[in-house]
Amino acid sequence: MRARGHLKQRLRVAVGGLEHVVGGLGTALLAFAALVWLVLVAVGCLVGVGLPLVPTVFRVTRAVADRERARLTRRGPEVIGPPPLPANARQALADLTVRRELAWLSLHGTAGFVVGALGITLPVYAVEDITFPVWYWLLEPGPIGPGIIWWRIDGLADAAGVSLIGFGCAALAVGLTSGIARLQALPGRRLLAPAPGVDLSLRVAELTATRAAALDAHAAELRRIERSLHDGTQNRLVALNVLIGAARRALDRNPDAAAEILDRAQDATEQALGELRAVVRGILPPVLDDRGLAGALAGLAGNCAVPCRVDVDVPGRCAASVEATAYFVVAEALTNVVKHSGATSAEVTVRRDGDRLRVRVADDGAGGADEHGGSGLAGMRRRVAAYDGRFVLTSPPGGPTTMDVELPCGS
Amino acid sequence: MRIVIAEDDALLREGLALLLRAEGLDVVATADEPGSFLDAVSSFRPDVAIVDVRMPPTHTDEGIVAAVEARRRQPGLAVLVLSAYVEQAFATDLLAHGSAGLGYLLKERVGRVEEFLSALHRVASGGTAVDPEVVGQLLARTRPDSGVSRLSPRERDVLTLMAEGLGNTAIAEKLVITEGAVHKHIRSIFAKLGLAPDDRADRRVTAVLRFLQASR
Repeated sequence: MRARGHLKQRLRVAVGGLEHVVGGLGTALLAFAALVWLVLVAVGCLVGVGLPLVPTVFRVTRAVADRERARLTRRGPEVIGPPPLPANARQALADLTVRRELAWLSLHGTAGFVVGALGITLPVYAVEDITFPVWYWLLEPGPIGPGIIWWRIDGLADAAGVSLIGFGCAALAVGLTSGIARLQALPGRRLLAPAPGVDLSLRVAELTATRAAALDAHAAELRRIERSLHDGTQNRLVALNVLIGAARRALDRNPDAAAEILDRAQDATEQALGELRAVVRGILPPVLDDRGLAGALAGLAGNCAVPCRVDVDVPGRCAASVEATAYFVVAEALTNVVKHSGATSAEVTVRRDGDRLRVRVADDGAGGADEHGGSGLAGMRRRVAAYDGRFVLTSPPGGPTTMDVELPCGS
Repeated sequence: MRIVIAEDDALLREGLALLLRAEGLDVVATADEPGSFLDAVSSFRPDVAIVDVRMPPTHTDEGIVAAVEARRRQPGLAVLVLSAYVEQAFATDLLAHGSAGLGYLLKERVGRVEEFLSALHRVASGGTAVDPEVVGQLLARTRPDSGVSRLSPRERDVLTLMAEGLGNTAIAEKLVITEGAVHKHIRSIFAKLGLAPDDRADRRVTAVLRFLQASR
């Protein structure tokens, strides 16, 4: 009984290991593809046309590495993710995490691929060879057998011999697969985890800073709401109160004047309502709830004075605060497009990439957007940073301007 | 009565000017920020300034600072400060150098035109007008062992109206009692609070406010 239990246990480990190897082979294939892309871009750089594509290498590498991290995390201790990629290629190249990812890519895309292939070959041979007596007669007689069998197979006895080899393969597979899986995972565990010491403390510092920024952004938000209620809505109501008081006093003395004052009071009421609506919209746009991010952004584009195309492809919903941030960033960006860019058209693209929401606002205007120019860009950057997101603005003089924002979906 | 208004909200500024002009008062200038307000005070030498607390650039206490500065430049200038909400520190800052010719009212009081005008006239003639809300908050914060806790409900009413800056006649009208009765209450209040009675409105308010601040 104990022997059987032991065997069962070994089998279970082997099957788990096999799944692991298959998963690893998948990421190895992706890593290989990324490597090919890396080489192509590198060659392109040598002949001078690859430079604009360099950032894509880092992004592709990061995407594959994140997939491997997620896979390893499912199979064992968590592999902690890195901070967002640095904004430009030079910084990225100097970044330790990026370098380690590139090292992992070249290992996993080559050796990892071979190890993975070996790992699944053994069980495949085992199944093939063990079942060989059942289907050997389908083969043309000749010097060929299944898998690595190179000698001539004549009749059932030879086939049964092959079957024995198959059992040998199976035993090898059971014994080796989990080891192979560990071997294959080794580069990922070593190179994709944060580098010992310094890196993680930096990450903690960064998360602490973004958390503080989130609190700051929150407080600033509350202050903004308080101010717009006090200085906007409340003042409108006070003015209304004053006008009604004046109208009452005028009623006896000069009814015509009273009517005129009441007219102004009505204007003040309408203004108050309009401002109140704006304040409420500024807290959490109701349109997000009603029509989702795509509908809300389409509404923004519809109200934009510059013709604006919106392309949103986001399956599912993100956290409400993230959607609100995306909405505000786009609203602010479109305001800037109308106010400053002189563009004739703009384009808003939103995509979901794993757990990241990517927002891009591009226009064909004059460019030269300056973050210190008080165009709300600094505020947008803070707002995005508060979510540990990424904010990249490309706006050379002469244009065009592109704003890329990346936010974690939080769902 | 010559009046300068400092208020950054255009609609409210014009509403106030319209209201006061309709009452036959002389609004000589309006300003939307502290600098132009101080200039207007220098050039028009008004009797009263009506000042909003929150003004540009930071929308915090610019109005109080400007009011204190205006009174430094033109001693005796009556100032009525309007505020969107009760902020104890503002009232204390304002009244720190005496309460004669000073007022601190919530903005919504302006709508009750008769009361607003009476407060304005009181301040212009050297009296005091403190918003009931401010007085109420001060009273609510007094320690239970302070003299205020020994006052009868009627005496508290009288003290509150006194603190708002009303004179004996106005207090008697409000509470529907005789002036003699008001006198009696005030003597009793001062006795309980350990203050010497005095008929001058501003000194009474100063005394009351000082006592209340000290007992916080």
